[in-house]
Parts: sequence; structure tokens; C-alpha cells
Amino acid sequence: MKCPPFDYHRATGVADAVATLDAAGDEGKILAGGQSLVPVLALRMARPAVLVDINHVPGLSSLEVRGDTLHLGALVRHLTLAEQDQHPLLAEAARWIGHTAIRSRGTVAGSLAHADPSAELPSVLLACDGAVQVAGPGATRRVGAADLFVGALQTDLGDAEMITEVELPVPDGWGFSEFARRHGDFAVVSAVATRFGDRIRVVIGGVAGVPHLVSPPDSTPDLLTVSGAVQDDRVAEIADAAARGVEPASDLHGSADHRRALTREVVRRAVAQLAGTPTSDRTPVPA
Amino acid sequence: MQISLTVNGERHRVDVEPRRTLADALREDLGLTGTHLGCEHGVCGACTIVVDGRPVRACLMFAVQADGASIATVEGLAADDGTLHPLQEAFSRCHGLQCGACTPGMLMTALHLLDTEPAPSRDRIRAEMAGNICRCTGYVGIVDAVESAAARQRELAPEA
Amino acid sequence: MTTTSPAPEPTASGTAVRRKEDARLLTGRGRYVSDLTLPRMRHVAFVRSPLAHAHITSVDVSEALETDGVSAVFTGDHPALASVSLRAQSGLPGYVETDQPPLARGKVRFAGEAVAAVVADDRYHAEDGAEGVDVEYEPLSPQVCAWASPEEITDPVHDEAPDNVLLSRTFRAGDVEAALAEAAVVVDREVTTNRHGGNPIECRAGVARYEIADRKLTFWSGTQVPYIVRTQLAGLLDLPEGNIRVIAPDVGGGFGVKAVLYPEDVALCLMAMAMPGVALKWVEDRVEHLLSATHAREHRYVLRAGFAADGELLAVKADAWCNAGAYSVYPWTAGIEPLMAGGLLTGPYKLAHYECTVRGVTTNTSPSGPYRGVARPSTVFAMEALMDSGARALEMDPIALRRRNLILPADIPYTMPSRLVDDSGAYEACLDQALETFGLEGWRAEQQRRRAGGGKPLGIGIGIYNELTGLGRAASAGPRMAFRTGHDACTVRINPDGAVTVFSGVTSQGQGLETTMAQVVADALGVTYDAVEVRIGDTDESLWGFGAFSSRQAVIGGGAAHLAGEHVRGKALALAAALKEAPVEDLDLRGGEVYMAGQAKSIISLAEVARVAYLQSDRLPEGFEPGLEGTKFYDPIRGAFAAGVQLGALEFDPATGEIGILSWVCVEDAGRIVHPVIVDGQIAGSIAQGIGGAMYEHLVYDEAGNLTTGTLLDYLMPTSGEIPELTIGHVSTPAANPTGVRGVGEGGTLAPNAVVAGAVADALGVEVDDLPVTPASVWTLLQGVTP
Repeated sequence: MKCPPFDYHRATGVADAVATLDAAGDEGKILAGGQSLVPVLALRMARPAVLVDINHVPGLSSLEVRGDTLHLGALVRHLTLAEQDQHPLLAEAARWIGHTAIRSRGTVAGSLAHADPSAELPSVLLACDGAVQVAGPGATRRVGAADLFVGALQTDLGDAEMITEVELPVPDGWGFSEFARRHGDFAVVSAVATRFGDRIRVVIGGVAGVPHLVSPPDSTPDLLTVSGAVQDDRVAEIADAAARGVEPASDLHGSADHRRALTREVVRRAVAQLAGTPTSDRTPVPA
Repeated sequence: MQISLTVNGERHRVDVEPRRTLADALREDLGLTGTHLGCEHGVCGACTIVVDGRPVRACLMFAVQADGASIATVEGLAADDGTLHPLQEAFSRCHGLQCGACTPGMLMTALHLLDTEPAPSRDRIRAEMAGNICRCTGYVGIVDAVESAAARQRELAPEA
Repeated sequence: MTTTSPAPEPTASGTAVRRKEDARLLTGRGRYVSDLTLPRMRHVAFVRSPLAHAHITSVDVSEALETDGVSAVFTGDHPALASVSLRAQSGLPGYVETDQPPLARGKVRFAGEAVAAVVADDRYHAEDGAEGVDVEYEPLSPQVCAWASPEEITDPVHDEAPDNVLLSRTFRAGDVEAALAEAAVVVDREVTTNRHGGNPIECRAGVARYEIADRKLTFWSGTQVPYIVRTQLAGLLDLPEGNIRVIAPDVGGGFGVKAVLYPEDVALCLMAMAMPGVALKWVEDRVEHLLSATHAREHRYVLRAGFAADGELLAVKADAWCNAGAYSVYPWTAGIEPLMAGGLLTGPYKLAHYECTVRGVTTNTSPSGPYRGVARPSTVFAMEALMDSGARALEMDPIALRRRNLILPADIPYTMPSRLVDDSGAYEACLDQALETFGLEGWRAEQQRRRAGGGKPLGIGIGIYNELTGLGRAASAGPRMAFRTGHDACTVRINPDGAVTVFSGVTSQGQGLETTMAQVVADALGVTYDAVEVRIGDTDESLWGFGAFSSRQAVIGGGAAHLAGEHVRGKALALAAALKEAPVEDLDLRGGEVYMAGQAKSIISLAEVARVAYLQSDRLPEGFEPGLEGTKFYDPIRGAFAAGVQLGALEFDPATGEIGILSWVCVEDAGRIVHPVIVDGQIAGSIAQGIGGAMYEHLVYDEAGNLTTGTLLDYLMPTSGEIPELTIGHVSTPAANPTGVRGVGEGGTLAPNAVVAGAVADALGVEVDDLPVTPASVWTLLQGVTP
């Protein structure tokens, strides 16, 4: 399991990176954290002619809130995402990515550009209705979450384009739930719920080639009673509707029916969390 | 490509192909075979080392990316006179190793954990060590060892 | 020369001395084959078949040979390899012998089979070259399932076995049909177990170097069985056995997977002989390991049991199919799993009427071989499933039903229906202690509380097992092979300075045998643990040992170490007695000093005795030869059964199928314990592998014979996040061997299947017939019972 040969280019800036990618045609690949790319190379499932290492490009590691939106440089590592407190949903989601040694290298833009439908960050981007700033051979452009993901491991990005910044609106409320086989594994199914004002959005990961956005209702459903308690039946309705709306495939880790059941449960947990009640899923052990 | 890296405080210059992983450069070019390879696709954690203060999978980083970096590997844990690091001592005492293949990665992962959290609970230890697969111990001895080493380190360096 | 002096009080044994291995393994100074670098060393990558079953129509290596850094390419037809085959042999009637080529010849029989080998300057370039080997195939119909009906077989895996059955045997005792006719209840179960494998963290590795001047081959190999490897290689390579040196240095885990001599190993040695003076290194990567190292445990059992009204187990009738994979594993044969399954299915339960037909069926999948617990994780699951079904049918408490049938101390020695002789009656003692430690009443109350008041359903699972360990010549491992694995040798040498070097035939892949052997010798000889150094794993150093399998080394290698230590102690005392003109029966050797009975002060040190023995022949008394060493073999003749019980409390989330382990208790009879922490480590590690097999690990082939779990992203091994805290207890009844030990290497793996499946049934009222138990399978089972 040794990588095939490639040329290595340590980019000095965004323009340099883009120009190198452009010159490579469809034979170039960006090397950021490498946590998804290097295994693919080691398995010789891809053989790019040129790897453009952007880790030394200045200016891609910033993290700041402007207005209601967190702006992240492309190279912000998952560990930093998990440690920051300006976007609590992002912090929670990042803690579910792999393990510390993965999080210390993996980058926010790398995860989005890799576009694994089971990964946490694509779902978060969509649930927050975020966007990415993209640099390319021509002008820079801004791509919204809904347009970025076009299929499993496929994005709208061109061969010579790179994400330079991620814009992630900070929601007024959120919930996150994930079901994985083991600690740190990719999710079998995950759900992210957000509330911006009176609108809620629910995104399900792992049930389709791209993160699946549940059609948001027109206004916030009455998740809470007047006394502030969670309306279980309203949460269940949303979860049921979400489960009905997905067409998952069967694979090694679960049948389509099981994935649909998981969808119902992770959506229920995420929406309940959004509504303000933490869900407890551990029952105490008798003394 | 010519690169230079500092491993356990010692500066090295090596000439590597761009595709050479940092793990292979350490093992093959520098002779530091303490860093082990268990899967070469970033899952098992055996090759975990510390690069510029953070744990990384040495199989998922190219050596050329470590140009100028400061690296800590298992070979640098014990003191020059052979005195074991409290983690090594605890792994031995608590039987946190059997065949030793996962051990370097376990130690380096635990090293970072104790650097960042001086008093982790057993659940925290289990969660944090879950990126490293051990096939021998059933993990009981490893969790015991990390817990015990943390206690020992707190004794040695009481809060100022 | 014998001595009648009393054996010294054990001091090293029974204590958790620091492992001799730890200092180097903890500091990155281990010496693994993967780490080995030699002058003029080159690296090998194998080209592996992408198809499960196909004729090879052509192999074109021209592009590979032009690849940068590549120096040679070998195929199955290369003159160095073309005439060699691995042929696992057995004298069992009806066993079909088949050939396994070092590199495929004419045909491939599983996806992942090595077809060619590329030699290059480093592994990177070897893999580049491997991509340049162009193999053309003509596909044949693959057979993946070992219990397919015969008419589904269009292209047999081996021409010699048109029905793909390599071995079939029926175990019979009593009259099953008559006993079933008299039974108050008869229960039927049909269960399957999931294919999985060892996956040590260090994969297979070998370095072979041949020196043509003296026709000597050195093979550094991460093997569990260096002496078997040497013997088999001598035949395959046509070299005198003394010209082959096999060295197993530090080995990064084995678990049975490395107790096999693989075609890749043989190919590597043959290639080295074709490239004299060049050391060839092959380190298997994880993808290769998952594809082509031996798998295990893909079995099907069709079972029927009859019970009397009082719960007595009257009869068991069983049919078993074990998927042997594409080749009869060398040298153990395709009988390794089915024969173990038939021999030990009935486990710790008394039974008079038994009929069990087992089959080893070849398929187009990676060969099955020894994996920790060989077959018994499956048979314990099958047997405990029968007990649970019997308890439900009789409306009896499942633990009471088991207790009713256990082999008890009064029954010992108990001849099992397969005619194996059980020397352990500790099952009930283990059960009692396990139940108390576990707190059964508390868990039953919690279960009721949850049933009444909500909360996740909770189930209690149990597995009771007998681990057959330390097999002597009468019960030797393996099916009537050309060798009997009952004995090991050990040499104890006192050096001129009085320190001790032990040359033991055992091997270690993490079990700490350097430590255990040092403890045993220290006590038998009468020196301190620190004074003993142990050399293992090098066929040029130690005389003989069959290696690590069947939980045999503490019993057999330990027995040899004890006998050798005692023998040399006798020699040393005799020399001391002669030197000091004292009666030998009054002398004692403790801590490296010789004492006279009734005196507190040593009369002579072992160092001085040794100095005389080696350096001062002028002081040697009449009749004494120089030197101070001795070698002993030990064979326990039968073996030592180790009893074990595991109990688990598990909870299940009906919404997701998620499984939570709340408590896990294991009580085993390890006999006398040499190193308590190592023993518990063996048990904990094997339980973790058992839980892995029960809940996570599954090697899955699609119908075309492609492995769909080819990386660790799909083949899931449990981590510290999944394995619970384990509570381990002991019932120590010394076995009848020199050290009193019983083997502990495998027992832990035997029960988790039964515990997890039993807990599902107990919690949810559904029978688990197929493993592994996963959230998906639990959820799916629940859909059948909830409206």
C-alpha cells in the first residue's frame, strides 16, 4: 500500500495553487490535510500527476465571526473547529470526526471538497445554509451549500478550483445526532437540525449521495408547549416525515429499512435537542 | 527532494521521493523503526507520532510535508539514561502492552492526551484512545496504564 | 546424576514480575521482521488475482521488468517455483489431498491469490512493477458458499473434489435416535457464524536470504511455528534441515494466523534461492492481510437436542459445514475447523448419545486456518443456543438447565462423546463464582424494573466452555498429520558467571513467554528471576518446539522448562556437594546460592560452582564433566482442559438496534498461575477478540467472490470505545503437569458469541441464529416481533 509516484508542488499562494492545478488539467489534486486523499492514493485508487500542497499558503487559517456568520479559512483544522466556541454546532459536529490524530490534520475545506455523504461537515454546511468561496483560473465565485454537493464524493468544483473560505451562518438553535458502528467511525446515518429565526432545517447524512435536506416547514412548528416542554408528538411527526422522505440504499452496515429507522431516530434526537431537551440514551447501571 | 526535520531533538536531512510517507521516512531513512505501520490507510493508529505538538498518523502525511517540522516519536520518550517515561512505566506495570505493535502509537496518543488533560476519566481515556487499535490486551491494561500515568504525572508536577 | 533434594519454594512464579520484553517494546527498540534491514536487501510485492475463480491464460511481465527499480519478476511457471506445491497431508480416511502452488499455476482459486511476485529496490517500486504485470484470465464459475447444494457446483474448486468436500467425518456415541425418541422435549436450531480473522497489528512478514556457497537459507519470519516451518521448508526446498535457519524475532501478534506456512513464505524462499546473496523482504500490507491471510469461523450448524423432563441432556444430533476456503491450509489441512467442531461441540456438558457429521468444504474464498479458539467460538454458540432453546421448551431457568448437565468433579476423568478426556471438573465452581461476581439477582431485578417501567430492554447472556489446552501426543492438535505436536524442549544453561540462559522452543507473539519461561526456570533451578535470560524463536539456538497454538506453550514449553531447570539444579547441587564434601540431599539452591540444611549462610554460590564447571577443570571432582547445562523434553500425553464461564448484561435500543454492554464477567480455571497479570491479559485480550467476532468483525464476500470488506474502514475491529470494563476471576485447580498450569490463550474467545446472542434472546424474546449481532441485525429481528 504505497502511493503511486506524483509530482509535488508546495504552493506559495492561492494564485500559485490554482495556476498549478490549471496547468495539470484533470491530473492535479489539492493536498490539504490528506486524511481522505492519502488512503485513496495508498490504495492506488487514484493517481494524480501533481499534488498541490496548500498547507503553506498564507491566509487560509483564519477564523472569525462577521455579522451572523463564521468565516473559516480553508485550512482550519478539525481540532480547531472542535475547540472554538463561536459556532457551537460546528464544534459538536467536529468532535465526531474521526479521532484526535485525524482531526489535527484534517481541514474544513478538505472535508467539504471530499464530499463524503456520511461526513459531518457537509451536513452542517447545508443545515446552516452556508457557502464556500472558490478561487479558480477565472474569477473567484461563491457556491452555496445546496449547489456544492452534486453526488457521492462529487462537487461542483472544477479541476483547477479550490475552496478558500467557508461561510457558516451561526444558527439560533441546533441539534446534532449521529449513529455510527464504532466510536469515531463515519456515520451510518446522522442528522443536523438548525433554527434560524422561525425556520428550521434538518439535514440527514448517510442516506443519499449528498446530504439530504428535509424540506423546511414554512415556520417553526410548535416544538415547545407554552410551559416550555418539548412537544414529543411534534418532534415525532418531523422525524416520521424525514424517514418517509429518504430512499437509503442497503450496505454492509445496515439495510435500507434499518437506515430509515435510524433516520427517524437521529432526526428525533436532533430535533429534540434543537427544541431544548437533551436526549439521554444511557440507562443507569444498578449498583 | 531534500528535506530537513527534527526528530526527538535531533536534526536530520534526508532526500526522499515526494510520495514517501513520513512513517516510511522515519523507519527506512532514519532507522527509527519504533514507529510501526499497521494499516497504512489511517485507521489503526499504530503509526501515531507527534508533529509540532499534535498527534498525527505518520502514514497519512508525506515526508516532504514534514520539512522543517519538529517530530516526537516513541524513541524519544525515555530519558537519555534509559529511565522510562511515566507512561512507559505505567504501560509495563499495568500490562498495557503484549506484542508491542500498537504500543508506540498508543504511547504517543496518550502522551498528547495527558499533555492536554491532566486528569482524564476512564471514559475520556477510552474515547481518546479509540483511534488506536490493539489486538492483544482487550484495552483494560491500556486504560489502566493511562489513568495510572496521569495520576503519577500529577504527583510529579503538582499544580503551581 | 539425580538428586533427592526438595524442590525450592517458588518465588518468581505467582508474582507479577516485570516482563522481560517490556523495556525494548516500550522504547521503540523491538526487533520485528518488519524492521529488519540487511545489506543488498530488496523488496517484494505480490500481484494478486482480482477474480475468485479463473483460468490464467497468459501472464506478461515485460512492462513490469522495465519499471524503474524492478530487478526481477516471478510467476508460478518460473523454473524456481514451478515444481513446488504445498500439500497439507492427513491420514484421515476420505480426506482429499490437494495442491497449493506458491504462486498460482494455470488457475486462480480465490480473489487475492498471489499470481506473480515483483522484486524491486523498495516496496514503492515493487508495487509500481506489480501494476505492470498483465495477467489475462478466463473466468470460471465461483462458489462462495460452503453449504450450497451440489447441483449448484458447476466448476469445482479442485478437480480432485467434484463436490468441493475435502473432508467429512461423523462422530458417534450411543444411540441418538433412540434417545431422541425418549426425550421429553426435542429442540431444533440452525445457526451460522461469521467469517472473520486474526488481524494482528503487525501483518505477516518475512525476509529470506540464501547463501549459495554453503547452501544455507536464513528465513526471518513473523511465524508462531518456526520449527514446523523449518521442517516443512526443508522438504519443499529440498535442503537439509540443518541448512535452514528460521528466526522469529519480536512478532506483532499472531492469534493463529501466523501458525500457517503460507504460499507467499515458500515463494519468498524459493525466489531467494534463485537470487543468491540477495535478501528478499516481504511485509504484507493490511489489504493483503484481509484478502489472503487465513480467515476462520464461517460455519453452519443444523442441530437437534433432546432433553428429559428434569432437564437432562439426552442426545445431540448435528450437521456442520465449515468453509475451508480455496486451499487446505498448510500444514493443518481443511480438517482444522470441522474436526475441532465435532470433537468439542458438546463442551462442558455430559452427554451419552451424540452424532455429529462435520465437513470441510472448499470454496473460492481465502483459505480458512487456525484462529484463536479454532471453531469453538462457533460450537459454544451452537451448544448454548440449544441449551437456551431447551430451557424455553422445558420452561426451566437456563442456568439451572446448564448446571443440571455440567461435568462435575466426581465425573473426572470424563470421556466426552468424541472420546476426548476432560480432566477439569471446575465448570460449576467457575459458574458459581461468575454468578456471584456478576450479581445475577441484581441484573434480573433491573431487567424486571425495565420491563415494568420502561427503559431499554436488558438481557443476560451466558457461555460455559471447556478450552482444550496443552495437547499431548494422545490428543495432539491436527488431524493425523505427519507430526504429533505433543512435546517441546528446553535447554537450561548456567553460564560461567552463574547467570542463566534458557533456550526454549516456545515462541511469543505478545504472550510474554520470555517472562513466563524465566519465572518457571528461576523457580525450578533456584535462582532469581533477574538472573535468567530467555532465548526463543531461533531454530539455530533452541533444540525444539512446535510453537504457539492450541494454548499449549505454558503447559508444554513450561513443563519442559521446569524439567530442564530441575535437571540442571540437580547437576549443580551434585557438583556443589562434591566440591564442599557435603551430602547432596542436605543441600538446597535458592537465589543462586547453595545452602546446607539448617544453616542460614550459603556454603557456595552457583557462580562459583559454574566457574569450576567451565574454567577450573583442575577443581572438578572425579566423575564430573565440564559444563553446566541440560535439556529436557516434556509431553503431557493428554492435555489440560480449562473451564470457563462468561456472563454479560447487555441493553438494546429498540429504535436503532444499538447494543450496549453494561457488565462482563469471566471466571476461568487457569490452573496454577505463573504470572497473574499476563494470564489476565490473555483472558481480556481473547474476550475482546471474541466480542469483535460477535458484534463487529465480518469478512463478507459477494456472490462473485469479491471481498467487500477489504479495508479497515469496512472490517471493523473493536476499540477501547467498544470493549467494556472486564471483570476477570479465577478458580485455580492445578493440572497434572510439572507446573500445574492450564492454558489460557484462547478461552476468552469462546463465549462472547453465546453471551451476546443469548442476551438478545433474553432481552427481546427473539432467537439469534446468525452472527454477527449488529444494530442492524437486532433491529431487523425486532421487526418480526413488534407490530
